[in-house]
Amino acid sequence: MSKPTDLVQGTLDLLILKTVALEPMHGWGVAQRIRMVSREVLQVRQGALYPALHRLEQQGWIRAEWGDSENNRRAKFYSLTKAGRKYLDREEANWERLSSAIGLVLKTAEG
Amino acid sequence: MRWLAKISFRFRSLFRGNAADCDLDSELLFHVERQTAVNIAAGMPSAEARRQAMIEFGGVEELKEECREMRRINWLQDLLQDLRYGLRMLRKSPGFTAVAVLTLALGIGANTAIFSVVNSFLFRPLPVRSPDQIASLAVQQGQQPLSTAFSVSDIHDISGPSADVFSDIFGYQIGYEGLGVKGAAQPILINYVTGNYFTALGITPRLGRFIMPSEGKVAGADPVLVLGYSYWKTRFGGNPNVLGEKVTINGTPVTVIGVAPAGFNGVYSLVEAQGYLPLGMLTVETWWNTHDFLTKRDLRNTVLLARLRPEVSVKQAQAVLKVVGQRLSRQYSVEDQAMALFAFPERLSRPNPDPSLKIAKIAALFLVLAGLVLVLACVNVANILLVRSAARRREMAVRASLGAGRARLIRQLLTESIVLAFGGGAAGVLLGTGLSRLLSSINLRGDIPITLDFSLDWRVFFYAFAAALLTGVLVGIVPALRASSCNLAKTLHECSRTAAAGRNRFRTALVIVEISGSLVLLIVAGLFTRSLANAQRSDLGFDPNHLLNLTIDPHEIGYNKEQGLAFEKQLLERLRALPGVRSASLASIVPFSYVTSNDFLQIPGYQPPAGEPPPLVWDNFVSPGYFSTMSIPIVDGRDFTDADNETAAPVAIVNQSMAAQFWPHEDPIGRKFTFGSGTPVTVRIVGVAKDSRFQKMTGPMDPYFYVSLAQTYLSLQTIHVRTNAPPEAIAHEVQSAVEALAPGMPVFNVETMTQALGTLQGLLVFRFGAGLAASLGVLGLILAVVGVYGVISHAASQRIHEFGIRMALGAQPLDILKMILRQGLMIVATGVVLGLLVASAFARLLANFLVGVRPTDPYTYAGVSIVLGIVALLASYIPARRAMKVDPMVALRYE
Repeated sequence: MSKPTDLVQGTLDLLILKTVALEPMHGWGVAQRIRMVSREVLQVRQGALYPALHRLEQQGWIRAEWGDSENNRRAKFYSLTKAGRKYLDREEANWERLSSAIGLVLKTAEG
Repeated sequence: MRWLAKISFRFRSLFRGNAADCDLDSELLFHVERQTAVNIAAGMPSAEARRQAMIEFGGVEELKEECREMRRINWLQDLLQDLRYGLRMLRKSPGFTAVAVLTLALGIGANTAIFSVVNSFLFRPLPVRSPDQIASLAVQQGQQPLSTAFSVSDIHDISGPSADVFSDIFGYQIGYEGLGVKGAAQPILINYVTGNYFTALGITPRLGRFIMPSEGKVAGADPVLVLGYSYWKTRFGGNPNVLGEKVTINGTPVTVIGVAPAGFNGVYSLVEAQGYLPLGMLTVETWWNTHDFLTKRDLRNTVLLARLRPEVSVKQAQAVLKVVGQRLSRQYSVEDQAMALFAFPERLSRPNPDPSLKIAKIAALFLVLAGLVLVLACVNVANILLVRSAARRREMAVRASLGAGRARLIRQLLTESIVLAFGGGAAGVLLGTGLSRLLSSINLRGDIPITLDFSLDWRVFFYAFAAALLTGVLVGIVPALRASSCNLAKTLHECSRTAAAGRNRFRTALVIVEISGSLVLLIVAGLFTRSLANAQRSDLGFDPNHLLNLTIDPHEIGYNKEQGLAFEKQLLERLRALPGVRSASLASIVPFSYVTSNDFLQIPGYQPPAGEPPPLVWDNFVSPGYFSTMSIPIVDGRDFTDADNETAAPVAIVNQSMAAQFWPHEDPIGRKFTFGSGTPVTVRIVGVAKDSRFQKMTGPMDPYFYVSLAQTYLSLQTIHVRTNAPPEAIAHEVQSAVEALAPGMPVFNVETMTQALGTLQGLLVFRFGAGLAASLGVLGLILAVVGVYGVISHAASQRIHEFGIRMALGAQPLDILKMILRQGLMIVATGVVLGLLVASAFARLLANFLVGVRPTDPYTYAGVSIVLGIVALLASYIPARRAMKVDPMVALRYE
């Protein structure tokens, strides 16, 4: 299994943080949510999702708690920490800047 | 508080590793269950739904490992895990572990022992305040040898103008005296110190007080004694009430005022000071010291040290001393003629300042040799590890397939080898401790108690630790890289036999390195051994066999000159009457002893070269019969007689070199010269003795002269007794004779002359060097033989299958033997050639330490190569024989 590139990894982190920012969510839920919201465009593979979750937890952006899931099974819920919120805001702004810049370049190149 | 969360998180995963894993399992299981539920909802049968969910999931174990990887305090947790695993692996193969630990222990032990010696000479600082500020001073007049002897006036002459660089100049003289407690005298080694000695060193007394700067300035004025710690422990039982006690030094009453701290043995590295008296107490009337020594500018017997001011380097001090020396040479053109002053860091001046840094060079040489032994040990263990790593490729492959990364595998294998190395290091330190004790206990002989303290301190332990760590990495890195670099699928399918060819090439290279390394060690050992043999064979000019020496000092029980002379006359008569004694006589100097004497000479008609001070010549004060006792022939003129006494005109006997140097074209008999700076004496030459060696085992003979002991009395003297039987046999009788004549007279250094030659100036360095080099060489040989044996027998066992086929096709056992031996011969020959090249380059560095043998001596090189070659071939013969006897049927069914 090849490692995601930095850009992809950074993007996945951003997606996960944004997703769990709404409400505490378990891994499966995060994957489902990203797929749904992106209208099936973004498929998050488990092989990338769980290491990313654990990495983010270790970095302190998210925290995990065991709780009851919608089907009454114990599940591990991830939620955003304060530091994670700050990080997310910063990364979101970065992403906006970057994507609009790329968009600009693409447009200009076309036009 | 992010870091806090992170830390607690990390520690949770560290200590609750299993619980965290459990969490991870349930988390992933939950995911699979949800996916299964979704699949069932989409209409799949439940078994298929679960299968699809699992497939989507991918490699569970790999994913888990990746998650763990994300959350670990990796290195710490891994380390603990690897340590546990490594120890388990080592326990599982105790034979391998024992061999590897023992091998490394030999290597590290040899290094520890040698480093402990080097440490005591070069690294261990004096136990004083800011030891790096202490410098040793030395003086050289014209072309004469560098000397550490200064006069007391020199202290004042130098310390004034050098006050900017030195805060103190202090010094001492060594005297061997008799310390009397309630009438019983025993020898004590006294340092007569300048008043500022202790304050300049900045140490605090264990008990009482030290000698103060105000003391010792007037002859005989301050009769106060400071005891050395171990002398206080042994002679006074560590009794604190010793303070204030009145004792005698050579009959003169002194008061004990203090005890030096434990560990401080004076500043001379070889001689432990047992007591300290103020310099002014050196009132003993001797040839080299007269009452006016405190003011006489050219009475040079005091060793000087200086404390550098903070931020001043030895180099800066040296620059100032150069100017001071020039100024003094002009100011006192007689006594200080052509005087140059030098300062050396104290640590590089042990035992004596030496601008050529001979000690440091020898130290470096032996550290390199010991390092070579450690490399050989490493190569051997690396070799075994390579074999093991081949056997463990499957294990590694399984671990890799379970998700372990390559770095992780390397780390684990390295941990194992480092654990092994630390095991070897611990055993090595134990071994090294024993070895350095053995080295410390070497008897240095000589007439004063010389001490070697090679005890281990943190520097030695640090060295051993670093050596072990380096060893672990060196030993493990290649096997680890190899074991972890395998192709998973291939290895798992492969059968273990086929994998080896490439690895064998590497192992062969290792053994070649090993053989060449051990050849270098053996050649160095051979050169040192030949050098020792040459030194032992060298013609000393006297016959050291059948000679017994014992040293006495009648002054120690208060005898004055008349009493001493009368006692000695009676003693010699008594000794000569003993059965088995051929002759007996007295001398002030024993050949190659630590006590030497020399004097400046004024020779009528002899003009020293321009700008040079008068010649400095070694001398010895002897009794009549000395030359026949020593078997030194008188080649011209006559021996001393009893008529050469105080009332007669002073006479001297010179050796051939002295006669040739100063009276080259005339008969020296009847010539006169003047010697002695204390009380100059003019002597008439009555005889010429054959040259004999007193100072150096090798090199040109020094000029030397003898004067009559009865005319120039010295209290400390050695009795030489020439015997018919082995000299040890009559040692007891001789001692009884002394005791009968002068009850209570201390007798020390009862030894044969051949023993007495084992001093630092004598054979000790040669013996030490040869013994050490030979031990390292033998160690290297053993390691190389084990290496050759290991590689050849492993290679042979891997080719068993091939041999079976060959034999089935008609090859004779002898052909198999030849095949294997040829491989062994190739390895040995390559190693020997490489070793010869390295040795011939390396041996040039030895030139200064060898006697009568060139560093590229062809006999040594050839002999050692042949020995090593034969032994190494024997080592490959054993596995070859085994392979030869193999039954082809068995070999073909092998595996």
